[in-house]
Amino acid sequence: MSKNIDKLFKDKFKESKATAPTEAWPVIQAKLKMRIINRLIYTFSVLGFLGLISFILFSTQTEKTLSKPLLKNTSLKNEVILKDNDVKEVKEVDVNNDKLPMSKPQENSKKLYATIATKKESKNNTTKFLYKNNTKTSKKTPFFKNKLGYAISEKVVKGRINLLGYSLDSLDYSVKKNLKAERKKRRKKKDSVDDAKFNNEKRRRWNVIPVFGALNSGRLSKNVTTLGTTRAVTYPDKYFDDNKSSGLISSTYGFNVVFRATNRISIQTGIFSKELRFLTEDLFLSEFIPDVNPTNIIYNPGVEVRFSNTPEIGGSESASLAQTIVYLEMPFELKYRMFGSLKFNTNIIGGFSFLYLNKNEIRAKTDIFSRSIGRASNVLTTSTTLNIGLDVEYHLSKRLVFNSAVIYKKHYNTYKDYNNEYSPYTFGMHVGIGYKF
Amino acid sequence: MSAQAKLYSLFADKLFNVCLKYSRTPEDAQDTLQDSFMVIFKDIKKFKYKGSFEGWAKRVTVNVALQKFRKKSIIKFDDIEESKIPEEKVYVDVEEKEISLDFLLSLINKLPPQYQLIFNLYVLDEYSHKEISEILDISVGTSKSNLSRARKLLKKEIDAIKKLQL
Repeated sequence: MSKNIDKLFKDKFKESKATAPTEAWPVIQAKLKMRIINRLIYTFSVLGFLGLISFILFSTQTEKTLSKPLLKNTSLKNEVILKDNDVKEVKEVDVNNDKLPMSKPQENSKKLYATIATKKESKNNTTKFLYKNNTKTSKKTPFFKNKLGYAISEKVVKGRINLLGYSLDSLDYSVKKNLKAERKKRRKKKDSVDDAKFNNEKRRRWNVIPVFGALNSGRLSKNVTTLGTTRAVTYPDKYFDDNKSSGLISSTYGFNVVFRATNRISIQTGIFSKELRFLTEDLFLSEFIPDVNPTNIIYNPGVEVRFSNTPEIGGSESASLAQTIVYLEMPFELKYRMFGSLKFNTNIIGGFSFLYLNKNEIRAKTDIFSRSIGRASNVLTTSTTLNIGLDVEYHLSKRLVFNSAVIYKKHYNTYKDYNNEYSPYTFGMHVGIGYKF
Repeated sequence: MSAQAKLYSLFADKLFNVCLKYSRTPEDAQDTLQDSFMVIFKDIKKFKYKGSFEGWAKRVTVNVALQKFRKKSIIKFDDIEESKIPEEKVYVDVEEKEISLDFLLSLINKLPPQYQLIFNLYVLDEYSHKEISEILDISVGTSKSNLSRARKLLKKEIDAIKKLQL
């Protein structure tokens, strides 16, 4: 009897009543549990990483604040004057008043740089006190009785507790051992699945990503002790050591080329324009060239004003020094995939960058104008950075990947006259959408 | 019994049937079934009540099965212009009762992977050529030509076995 081949297959498969294997459900249950555990691990890792970053940022900020001298020309907040042995008087000074007179030479009174007093000690004392009050004296001589009401010796009870403890330890050990073996097995299986996935996607190993990033620049401070006070060294010149200095938000843009070498490891390079911006405040502009002139600033021809640390007699215009350094950056980085799925991957990034100086500018900023007046002479043409970060990839489609990375970069060989200990650093967020081919 | 366990007990057998068609061995089919349920549980919020839940679950299973199939087999489709493919129906001279499901499964598994995929999708899971072309990233013509070759190969196998029996 003649029959259409499509109908023959269709009818037979409709009739079929294959039953799913009984082992399948327990495996699914185990996988569901693992998924919950993995989610928790991932959440805690991300939170931990963010916490670490916040801690680093917070501690850097605190360090800057602590090392900033409070006694400085006209920008003082408080002056602590030591009169007699232990009697301190805090004199309030208007913070916002820029036209205050210069601080007078230190005569008769001993001026001290303010230190931040913590209440730690007093807190600790309070805690101790409360603790002491709450502590009750425990009564001794515990009773041990067996079921029949006979008193049994303390030694026997201790022996039994030890025995129980030993059994629990051995049970714990065997459970841990089994868990370890199970995890190893699963990891091996997952790796082999990932490898197969990678082999299947071998055609799309390259990824080009146009990247834009926002950076927070900063400079590691050099702690100098003068008159018992710790100060921070600022740039571009030692002359401004005592001035308030901070990094500004800057930008970076360019593109990354990523090559996926193995299932877990990718190599990335690219070309970027990277900007660093710093602001040194509490300066004055004057036409008078002081004896101690900043040596690391080469003033543009025709510029007649100079930065000064002190105002001229008769008044000077207060100003800030804005330094901009732009580099052409070529990074060489390795990305290691920690965990992920078909859609979502998280990678650790580590590597270095070569930098070539592209722009070096110093601007004077006053309330009225902002004008380029020169460049820093102590910035080297070529330098390097050490890069470390966390990268997240989200696959929008087969070809398009959204990429976001948080990267910390420490600069080396930036200045001629300072060693690497005081080099700048950047901490930034980079985002881009890449095309895989 | 949890909701997930209920869902599993309702659809496991039906989805296992789908998995069998795209797998070389029952063990592979079991793996596919497990992975499919993981995806179903994860993406259940994406089911928008358009059509039956069973239909949606089957589509998810077919997608998972396809991913696994691609990983394990190197698939090269035969490209042919659409106009050159004749629309034909292939007939075999057999008694339906004489043929078992296992036999048909073994025939499908003997097909080259590209033919097996398209035959399963078009004939057994009732996808259109347009849908197949989108899923497998091929042209409609390629889908039609590969289906035609799959039918011919299956007929050849069935005829050969029938001759042996005679």
